Amino acid sequence: MYDMYLTVRSVTRGQKGRDVLSRAGLRCALVRAPRAIAPGGCAYALALRRGDEARALRLLERAGVPVEGCWISGADGRFERVGP
Amino acid sequence: MIYLDNAATTLRKPPQVEAAVLEALRSCANPGRGGHAAAARAEEKVYGTRRLAARLFGLEPEQICFTANATEGLNIALRTLVKPGTRVVISGLEHNAVTRTLAGLGVEPVVAAAPLFDAAAWTEAFAEALRPGAAACVCLQVSNVFGAVLPVAELGALCAARGVPLVVDASQSAGLLPVRPADWGAAFVAMPGHKGLLGPQGTGLLLCLEQPAPLRFGGTGSRSEDRRMPEELPDRLEAGTLNVPGIAGLGAGLRWLLARDPSALRRNETALLRRAARGLEGLGARVWTGPGQTGVLSFRLPGRDCETAASAYAARGIALRAGLHCAPLAHRTGGTLPEGTLRLSVSPLTRESEIEGFLSVSEALIRKK
Repeated sequence: MYDMYLTVRSVTRGQKGRDVLSRAGLRCALVRAPRAIAPGGCAYALALRRGDEARALRLLERAGVPVEGCWISGADGRFERVGP
Repeated sequence: MIYLDNAATTLRKPPQVEAAVLEALRSCANPGRGGHAAAARAEEKVYGTRRLAARLFGLEPEQICFTANATEGLNIALRTLVKPGTRVVISGLEHNAVTRTLAGLGVEPVVAAAPLFDAAAWTEAFAEALRPGAAACVCLQVSNVFGAVLPVAELGALCAARGVPLVVDASQSAGLLPVRPADWGAAFVAMPGHKGLLGPQGTGLLLCLEQPAPLRFGGTGSRSEDRRMPEELPDRLEAGTLNVPGIAGLGAGLRWLLARDPSALRRNETALLRRAARGLEGLGARVWTGPGQTGVLSFRLPGRDCETAASAYAARGIALRAGLHCAPLAHRTGGTLPEGTLRLSVSPLTRESEIEGFLSVSEALIRKK
């Protein structure tokens, strides 16, 4: 189950990011960002497993996919911002 | 019907294009507007086409923006770069998509002109006209009237040396010639999706290497609480619902092209054009032809008005275009005003037998006169 969310600026950047991470062997999914982590309204996020985020952030930066926020979802459904 | 009006639109498409349009019509909802399966399918269709275009043109997917046609792309590019009273240099072969947009912006452009098929002379003409501080230089890659190829790469170097943004109209070249905006140093390249890229009408691409100003404002499915348009491409230019069936069809056209050897397609089209030119010359027609000519051939039948001749061809099942082809400036440069020309244009799906059929009808029309 995914518990780490990297929010991105658009669905296109998200799709590009998903392809980059998948090619590198990281399991991920492109999802509509939960409202709590999309303060500007209507956003997309790359959902990952916790522990994969450091590698994912490096790969995304190299591919020119800016990450807006890095969030952990807790068991209670709340999100905690952990970067960037 | 023998269809030889491919410079207007390629009527005959690979069958995959129609299938992709129908499949998208049946299965795709609004991309970027929901998390359900039908919206996600639409998002993947759109992104798939974006990725194919990025591959064909050597860019990143987010640099590929969907438009309704090349005209919309040129409007975006020119309205981004040009303010009233600024200096803009254009080729003497530009379409009304450029000249009317500039007129709408209150700009009287400086026109660089040279003999139609003399690439070195075109480079010289631009070198003379281009000065630092110009707001933009606009140039098509292939003339929609004469099929003349302009030296866009050389022009890119001239623009770079003078710090002038380059806008390229690839309406007649995309799918036929290499389009390499990054190598050219272009700011924007506009093209239709429904000509050489073999997609449906109502599709176009604007390749953005600079930040554009939006022409349309509205919903993008992103950053909805912000009243301003997003800075992020492609969202910045894609307000409102996209033409998903058209974009899916365009993706099928791009896939068809990418699966083939571009130089073989080019050789075939050149051979068809040469055959048509030689045949017409042999019949006594006036033909505008020269080195590098691509996709398009202008001609006139002896003693016949172009529009009347086009009607006579149409009555015999041959589809051509007559007149000024929305490019009076090109006709002024080519010396074919006020009457214009008859225009024959081929596509990757044009057959040799169709050119022979066209020549037979041409012979009959010339003899009948």
